[in-house]
Amino acid sequence: MAEQYKSLHPAKYYRDHLKHDIRPDGRELSDFRPVVINVGSIKTADGSSIVKIGNTTVVCGIKAEISRPKADAATKGFLVPNVELSPVCSSKFKPGPPSDQAQVLTQIIADIVGNSQCINLEELCIFPDKIAWCLYADLICIDYDGSLIDACALALISCLKVVSLPEVSYDPSLDKQQVNLEKRTPINVNSVFVSTTFAIFDDKLILADPTVEEENLCTGTLTIVTCNDELCYVHKPGGSPLVDEQMSDCIEKCMNRSNSIKKLIKTAILENI
Amino acid sequence: MEVIESFENNLNLKCKLQVLSRADGSAMFSEGQTVVLSAIYGPVEVKMQKLLIEKASVESVFKPKSGLPGVSDRYKEYLIKNICETALASALYPRTAVLVNLQEMQNQGQLISCAINAVCLACLDSGIDMKFLFGAVSYFLTKEEELTLTPPINESSVKAMFVFVFNNTKGDVIASHTEGRFSIDQYKTALDICRDEVKKVFIFFKETLLDT
Repeated sequence: MAEQYKSLHPAKYYRDHLKHDIRPDGRELSDFRPVVINVGSIKTADGSSIVKIGNTTVVCGIKAEISRPKADAATKGFLVPNVELSPVCSSKFKPGPPSDQAQVLTQIIADIVGNSQCINLEELCIFPDKIAWCLYADLICIDYDGSLIDACALALISCLKVVSLPEVSYDPSLDKQQVNLEKRTPINVNSVFVSTTFAIFDDKLILADPTVEEENLCTGTLTIVTCNDELCYVHKPGGSPLVDEQMSDCIEKCMNRSNSIKKLIKTAILENI
Repeated sequence: MEVIESFENNLNLKCKLQVLSRADGSAMFSEGQTVVLSAIYGPVEVKMQKLLIEKASVESVFKPKSGLPGVSDRYKEYLIKNICETALASALYPRTAVLVNLQEMQNQGQLISCAINAVCLACLDSGIDMKFLFGAVSYFLTKEEELTLTPPINESSVKAMFVFVFNNTKGDVIASHTEGRFSIDQYKTALDICRDEVKKVFIFFKETLLDT
């Protein structure tokens, strides 16, 4: 019976649950879904991670290539994130060139990385104006069940933490480079960012960590990214207006959550070694 | 058509409506040295795939000053599309499309807020039904931890940038976009100041409409 009710009147089905301060999946309004992190499972990549937030699954692989720095930033390397929403993750996505949503998500992830300054791009430079590392971070969504920004951000940061680059020696006079694949060094990650998404239901209720059903029914979303004790991204793309108290409340929840996520990343990395 | 200016406003806003003859609504809007041209077509016929039975579908296109549109322009389109979907009374035009077109003319750091304000004025010019007006304000945090409304001339001295979009009914935040790192207090201070500043933007909108 509940199944039919849910498919016929999805909004009312949610409203009835939320009236009793509970969500259909058994969570309270401000509860988060369980998070699973696994690092280093793809051996062919220079760094990899798999993150699950509830059912949402994102795989991140980082491949390092040697490239030439840009002329206007001769001492900087590159970190290029790319989010792929493949048809396997949801019926919403079709094969072919990246959808608008995937492109927007790629930009958001790139913004978060840039804002947080977690990687000093100058450390990726091997020899100014000649060679530098270019890290291609491919984020592939396997299962799309909401809060995708959170999952992608978490996959990327845990992946960056385990990336190791081979030693490169460069001789500028001969313009010759030699890569020693045996000797690998990890890269410095200066800060850890943690993203948290909230959905606004019926213009007033705030649901933490929404599933895809909740995202579709909601009238707006809010994503806050914390970085150490600061904020590095507050993203609200239209939707229902928010009053200041709700905003501060969300920021506080986000700060609390970031500590436990940071611990989780640490444990995941320790277990891998 | 004369150009309307507001000199007492430290945001230095200027606007010219009905700059395009074919569009239903158009505006050339400038905020300091940043200039954006916007045009609204709608409600018009909709493509089959984008048809929505209960409301109008909003499509937005952002063209950069030079070169091909990239991923960052997709992000701006997405932001503007979402804001328009919230603000337009789209339920009044079911099975139609509203096309929002933007052309960047000049960028001095306030591109996103300028584009959003240009869209609001173009909507007003076209006479499409809206639930409320929206106005955007950019705010900058310099490396010396100073908050300022005018974009610093040297781009590298900006530590963080905030863009807030408010509605004119209660002054609540509809959209927020940030760049760079900042503390919670700085965010809240910027939000409060921008809420005051946006009132001037709404007054400017009103003056603009009254003068035409």
